[in-house]
Amino acid sequence: MELILSLAIGTLAGCGVWLLLRPRTFQVIMGLVLLSYAVNLFILGVGGVRLGMPPFLAKGQTGSVAQFADPLPQSLVLTAIVISFATTALFLVVLLASRGLTGTDHVDGAEPEA
Amino acid sequence: MPQDFLLVALIVLPFVGSIVVALLPDTSRNAAAWLAGAIAITGLVIVSAFYPAVLGGASIRHDIAWLPQFGLTFSLRLDGFAWAFSILITGIGALVMLYARYYISPSDPVARFFSLLLAFMGAMLGIALSGNLVQLVFFWELTSVLSFLLIGYWHHNASARAGARMALTVTATGGLCLFAGVIVLGHIVGSYDLDVVLKSGNQIRGHPLYLTALILVLLGALTKSAQFPFHFWLPQAMNAPTPVSAYLHSAAMVKAGVFLLVRLWPAMGGTDYWLWLVGSAGLATFIVGAFLAVFQQDLKGLLAYSTISHLGLITLLIGLDRPLALVAAIFHMLNHATFKASLFMAAGIIDHETGTRDIRRLSGLWRFMPITAVLAMVAAAAMAGVPLLNGFLSKEMFFAETIETHDGSMLDDALPYIVTLASMFSVAYSLRFIRDVFFGPPPTDLPRTPHEPPRWMRFPVEVLVVACLVVGMVPALTIGPILDTAVHAVLGPAAPEYSLAVWHGFNFPLLMSGVALAGGIAIYLVLRKSLQTAADGPRLLRGLDAAQIFERVMVTVSWRWARSLESLLGTRRLQSQLLLLVCAALVAALWPVYLHGLGADRIASTNIDPVFAANWVVGIACALGCARLAKYHRLAAVILGGGAGLATCITFVWLSAIDLALTQLLVEIVTTVLLLLGLRWLPKRFEVIDVAARARTIGSTRRRRLRDLAIAVMSGCGLSILAYSVMTSPTPDSISKFFLERAYTDGGGSNVVNVILVDFRGFDTLGEITVLGVVALTVFALLRRFRPAPDSVGIPEQQTPANALHDDHFTDGTQGGFLPVAAVIVQLLFPFMVMMAVFLFLRGHDLPGGGFIAGITMAIALILQYMAGGIRLVETRLRISPLRWISFGLLTAACAGAAPWLFSRPFLTSYANYAELPLIGAVPTASAVIFDLGVFLLVVGATALMLVALAHQSIRSHRVARATATAAPSEDT
Amino acid sequence: MTRWLDHLLVFPVVLPLVAGAVMLLIDEQHRILKTAISIATIVALTGVAIALLGLVDARSTEAASASVWVYRLGDWPAPFAIVLVADRLSAMMLVLTSVLGLASMVFSVARWDRAGSHFRAMFLFLLMGLNGAFLTGDLFNLFVWFELLLAASYGLVLHGSGTRRVKAGLHYIAVNLATSLLFLIGVSLIYGVTGTLNMADLATRIPQVPAESRGLLETGAAVLGIAFLVKAGIWPLSFWLPSAYSAATPPVAAMFAIMSKLGLYAVLRLWLLLFGASSGASAHFGGDWLAFAGMATIVFGAIGVLASQDIARLAGFSVLISSGTVMAAIATAQVGVTGPALYYLVSSTLGIGALFMLIELLERGREPGADVLAVTREAYGEDEADDLLRPDEAGVAIPAAMAILGLCFIGCTLVLAGLPPLSGFIAKFAMLSALFGPPGPGTHAGVPPLAWALLGLLIVSGLTTLVAMTRAGIRTLWTGAERTVPRVRVIEIAPIIILLLATATMTVQAEPVMRYMQATAAALYAPQGYIHGVLSAPAGRGAPKKEGS
Repeated sequence: MELILSLAIGTLAGCGVWLLLRPRTFQVIMGLVLLSYAVNLFILGVGGVRLGMPPFLAKGQTGSVAQFADPLPQSLVLTAIVISFATTALFLVVLLASRGLTGTDHVDGAEPEA
Repeated sequence: MPQDFLLVALIVLPFVGSIVVALLPDTSRNAAAWLAGAIAITGLVIVSAFYPAVLGGASIRHDIAWLPQFGLTFSLRLDGFAWAFSILITGIGALVMLYARYYISPSDPVARFFSLLLAFMGAMLGIALSGNLVQLVFFWELTSVLSFLLIGYWHHNASARAGARMALTVTATGGLCLFAGVIVLGHIVGSYDLDVVLKSGNQIRGHPLYLTALILVLLGALTKSAQFPFHFWLPQAMNAPTPVSAYLHSAAMVKAGVFLLVRLWPAMGGTDYWLWLVGSAGLATFIVGAFLAVFQQDLKGLLAYSTISHLGLITLLIGLDRPLALVAAIFHMLNHATFKASLFMAAGIIDHETGTRDIRRLSGLWRFMPITAVLAMVAAAAMAGVPLLNGFLSKEMFFAETIETHDGSMLDDALPYIVTLASMFSVAYSLRFIRDVFFGPPPTDLPRTPHEPPRWMRFPVEVLVVACLVVGMVPALTIGPILDTAVHAVLGPAAPEYSLAVWHGFNFPLLMSGVALAGGIAIYLVLRKSLQTAADGPRLLRGLDAAQIFERVMVTVSWRWARSLESLLGTRRLQSQLLLLVCAALVAALWPVYLHGLGADRIASTNIDPVFAANWVVGIACALGCARLAKYHRLAAVILGGGAGLATCITFVWLSAIDLALTQLLVEIVTTVLLLLGLRWLPKRFEVIDVAARARTIGSTRRRRLRDLAIAVMSGCGLSILAYSVMTSPTPDSISKFFLERAYTDGGGSNVVNVILVDFRGFDTLGEITVLGVVALTVFALLRRFRPAPDSVGIPEQQTPANALHDDHFTDGTQGGFLPVAAVIVQLLFPFMVMMAVFLFLRGHDLPGGGFIAGITMAIALILQYMAGGIRLVETRLRISPLRWISFGLLTAACAGAAPWLFSRPFLTSYANYAELPLIGAVPTASAVIFDLGVFLLVVGATALMLVALAHQSIRSHRVARATATAAPSEDT
Repeated sequence: MTRWLDHLLVFPVVLPLVAGAVMLLIDEQHRILKTAISIATIVALTGVAIALLGLVDARSTEAASASVWVYRLGDWPAPFAIVLVADRLSAMMLVLTSVLGLASMVFSVARWDRAGSHFRAMFLFLLMGLNGAFLTGDLFNLFVWFELLLAASYGLVLHGSGTRRVKAGLHYIAVNLATSLLFLIGVSLIYGVTGTLNMADLATRIPQVPAESRGLLETGAAVLGIAFLVKAGIWPLSFWLPSAYSAATPPVAAMFAIMSKLGLYAVLRLWLLLFGASSGASAHFGGDWLAFAGMATIVFGAIGVLASQDIARLAGFSVLISSGTVMAAIATAQVGVTGPALYYLVSSTLGIGALFMLIELLERGREPGADVLAVTREAYGEDEADDLLRPDEAGVAIPAAMAILGLCFIGCTLVLAGLPPLSGFIAKFAMLSALFGPPGPGTHAGVPPLAWALLGLLIVSGLTTLVAMTRAGIRTLWTGAERTVPRVRVIEIAPIIILLLATATMTVQAEPVMRYMQATAAALYAPQGYIHGVLSAPAGRGAPKKEGS
């Protein structure tokens, strides 16, 4: 399981980095999206891979680490998801504006000469 | 204690005065001048009042704590030497103020001029009175800055600007070196206090860092005193108004360097290094200055070079490293100040009355301004070292010193002959100054017909020349005591015996003077004819003008090299920046792993589930596909990216993180919608772009792509290794057990994650929703100014055939109206989705859901309306103003957080209980729910705002088309 | 009243939040009202910050153990939930932030707030983010506040739109988004190894981290460090900075002057807290790297300062110089040097902030087609273009504008080049003096090469700044034949003068200011006070059920 998960994280990150280094704004934004998936999974994985744990406390119960998945990374990931959603939206609009103002979708706002 | 008060007043007065004068209106010429003069005279009076206090090497000081932690006290220390120097500063200062009153034309903003002069006087006094080396550097740099402003006073002419900048660059650089030197001295001695430093001479000379400190300090002193090879800035500085030249460049500022040398001689002098560095610099300057002065055609230029040479003389004396030489140096400092200042003023008068300073054009002024002529001649004679004038006396002492043996080297033996030769030149240029300007035929074609200057403009010159005469005739009575106190202050008990008699009988020095006079006259007679017509400077050396060389070097280093270096060490391209970032992260991540390894013991990893594996086979495929297609097939890339997101989502379910899965799913939907809305504005791109360009760039492109691929693979592997090792390493006892224990009992919710979000770590959520809100605002602001590129303004061709059929929908830029059935269904769905959102929200504390999820659901409901119903339709139907939602959301959250204050509990303290609601059942009424409500409102507002703003663009596009069409030419500049 | 005093610590975050939210409710028409509210808020913030500083300083001086003031959010005990922590350092940064914020907000009232929508709201949220980041004692919470202030800064750097800003903004955003991901990785790694997020708790746990986990721990720390270095603009991760800062509107750029200092703050705080002398095997981990990076940054900044044509870019590079200087000084890991470094940090921040605002006034006067107008015209949709071109009705044009501008420019130059009489000189002197052995009798050991290098770099960077600024100043102020004297309004020049006066005060009052800085540094190098203060804060909602209480 861990193996698969880490492989998945790695692949997502690799594709993300590859896209991040491309010259077109759209590629960069997709790269950021993929990278954020990778990072979210990473954060969750840091809490340890716990399969089939009961998701919620029973009424009045006080849970313990043994029988529950680590909730803290989950909440961190939630925050991270929201923030990355926001920034993705922002970057999208910025790249649109840049495309509109400069007429090109190159990240430097100008087609490379030669 | 009055003495201290006076001492402080002495230094504070000029600065206060400068501020006051600066506030005067530019027209108030007299007020400014008189105020400045009055302050200078007050200073003079105060200084002279201190005379009894500094007799016989005594000194007074007054300390004010400034930065005691670092041994920096503001200490004013007045001893005989400082006293004499202060007399010079204030006395000549006063005369210059008076002179400037008549010199500066009323059209100039005189207030600024006098205010600067006063400030400068204050700074000079600061140097003289500093009892702490750092404080000395402080005022030292201050004089550099002020001289920059004074030289550049007439900044409308380019040469003044250039001169000012050069002076600043050279002297400030020297100042910084001096600063460093002082730091090193402080390190050696352990204190910056002047008295301590002066006492610990042996410690300094013995220290391994002595030479470093010496060189740094000398760099400061020699640049300030315009010593070879740093002499070139002084002639350039002659573009300053003449009062400035008379004050800064003869009497005060250029003397600061030699002043410092004399000051520090007891501490740093007395070594071979000193003898050679200082002595040779002085000698070279003495000769070069005297020689070049002869060939100047500008009166002030001639005086500038002679100043350089005389300063060289003084430096040489200091370098000779003997008490008597030091006496001569101090003596000549005073003398030179008097006659050179008067000469500058005379030159200024000539310039003022005739309109030119070109020696070739001037002649026979004797007839027009006899008094000025006489004064100038006397001063020039003093400069030449003619007997019965003060210049003669110090020159005699100088000659006497050069004859003495110092280290018996060849240069030492040759010294008397060299200095005699140099003195010939100084006689020559003095003679030239007198002969060419005042005698000869009456001048032709002068800009103005010359005449005597106003009475009070000449007065300062008269005073100074009288001083020259008196000192020259009865030195023992006049200058004697002053010199004595100065000498004792510097040398203390080591002060030598010396006589200030005018006549020492026939001896070598007298002989040397005679030879110098005769030789000088001879040189003048030889060169005279050629000089009448020649251009500036000696013929052979015209090629290498130090100032030009300096300028060229400055431009090359500080501009050309800097620019190429910047482009070498930096980049403005985003790709290379991101590349650097990734590489830096890789190095940072791998270095510690390389050092420590990843740890040996692994916990048993859970066994592999085929379904999960299958899920990720698909997910990975999607990711790779997305990476491959993102350039030419954006739509496909978006879909594939969504696929990868879905795989992530499923993984969350697998890892028993239901909330995450839900959130991820919803966010996924919204993101995809946003991206799809955005695609429409991006340029069309097809797989085959022109082959020629391809062929040209193919090599470099492939190399770059390979490199990026390698980086990408490395970072991917790196992250998976990290992930694997951290997942399989033993988990530490985490703080989250606290959350599990307290979530229900104290947090009042069984959905631990949600409780953490709204209660344990509610502060995170507060920040997070604010981020969302801010981003929404930014998106809104940007899109209000959105201008699509001309080629993507038109309706996308996917719509054009349809438009051909339904003209009535033409104005509605979206496909709305083409799917009437779906539209109806979605509109019917809307209420249910809202219900769903409310439901999700209410159960959030116990089961998956909560404000965020509910909010996104709500937003999706809205956007569905847009997609199905068309923008116009929806915007007319339901009037939500997202901004208000955002604002209310934030306010609600803030209030929910602040409510506990009323019960004197901290921010965000939550109160939990359960209430039975019909239909829904037990609902946690933890006050955190109110906070969650805030989250809900904000998320709805923000998401809706972004989606609507983006979707709205397609309606605006027609109007924008016009805008870009008109604005395009003006904008692309 | 004391009850409110207890909650003073959270005000720096809540006040701008509420004010910003209110801004959204008020329509753009009511400029006066919005301006009044926002300025009042920032004034209040300044008051709170100063009060905090006073209180913290007083507490600390009486008992070193109580050197921090802890605020338990949600009334949960310290290591588990989020706490706000105010010590001398954070209090100082708060004051600096609010003062700079006040100055630039007042400045913006003259024209810039109209160059786009929701300027004030975003400005206030930026302040909220900064304050939160300076106050929080929780690593992930720090991330959240970083994100907030970055989001606000994205909005502000794009404020007024226009090709140049959007281009620079795109780079700025892309780099910082990538950086944020690194931040997350770092934080989660650290949590995975130590199992906590609270900074003080981390400091106690790191020494006990088993040897086999050290690799992961330090990896996390290093990745986190990279994130901070990017924010601080350390070479070679700083190329986005000059472009972004020079493209931003002047008041925003002035605020950015302190944003780059936030990265330095984070390094200073975390590096000394987590990897200080008492942190066992990982003590001073990565120190040399920081030193070299810092010095490289000084070099690059100095080169860039010389190489840049327009003053805005020049100012951007001087940000690099100041960041590099502070970083290198921190990396010496000497308490004696850190104090002056903090002094330098404050002084240079004030100077740069003033310069960024001044530049616009200087450029404004130049030939009629001044680029500022060009920018704003570009910024405005064609519908609102005339809004700015209409002469300001409220403005009182001050006399002798050029003279005052010139004086201010000289002031900025002196501060940045470290020349007397302003605080730059004192700062450099104190740093060097500390490096070269404390004054006072006694023989010193040899001077470490790092000290020599720093001495040289400080001198050279000062010189280059002087040369470049002189060049620029002569070009803009002295070759003024064609230039028309700009219409400068009091509310535009006053903030600049205030900031410069602040540096002058720092010079005159060098002793008390420096004492404060030294006390701050001392506390940073003895983190036990901080740790103890945070962890031993009286437990709030502990075992007793809340229903009971």
